[in-house]
Amino acid sequence: MLRALADPHRRRILALVKHEDLAAGQIASHFEITQQAVSQHLHVLERAGLLSERREGTRRLYRLRPEALEAVRTVLGELWPDALQRLKTVVEKQQRRSPDNRAKPDNERRIP
Amino acid sequence: MSQSEVVTATITIAAPPATVFPYFTDPALLVQWIGDTAHLAPEPGGLFALDMGDTRVRGAYVTVDPPNRVVFTWGVLDSDTLPAGSTTVEILLTADGEQTIVELTHRNLPVDWRARHRDGWTRNLGVLEQKVHA
Repeated sequence: MLRALADPHRRRILALVKHEDLAAGQIASHFEITQQAVSQHLHVLERAGLLSERREGTRRLYRLRPEALEAVRTVLGELWPDALQRLKTVVEKQQRRSPDNRAKPDNERRIP
Repeated sequence: MSQSEVVTATITIAAPPATVFPYFTDPALLVQWIGDTAHLAPEPGGLFALDMGDTRVRGAYVTVDPPNRVVFTWGVLDSDTLPAGSTTVEILLTADGEQTIVELTHRNLPVDWRARHRDGWTRNLGVLEQKVHA
């Protein structure tokens, strides 16, 4: 999958189309490589499921697929550290709200 | 799939494992720290469905062993890159005094992710992500 991301041109393309739909020509204007080479990169990214394509008149517009972004974050190991940090915050907040529960097993807690 | 990678993450939480465990099995608790909506059937073979924005994570519980261990599969619906159920997430909760050490291991991730170390793709992606959510 992320072989598609190994190329710096392709990573720059993804950065360009993260917010807006762009035509191949607009994307190519950011590069010194040929438009044909850009088209090949777009094809690789599309096949990897990282880009979506839609037609507007005669133009094809490209954009980063948001669902691909989360998949990529998961693969790169970025998802979990952020998520576990939120887990810690949430659980510890709950612990502070009910201090009687702290470190007591269930059966002990139920004793009146 | 010729290559696979493992991602690990660890954190220590000031609460006992029995308090932390339901955050991996109760949908109302799970979505407090990851995703937006969840449908969970926490038993072996039971559904693990979590929607995170446009990302629909789908898998199944493999092991549910409260309060210390839970394993479920993880993938993205309609994704060629990370198909539903294609990877495995294991969570170990170990008591350490009044705290819990949470160790998460995400296995079978399909990648050549050396690109990450080569030129800051991780950082770029982080910026990308913040902007997408802005």
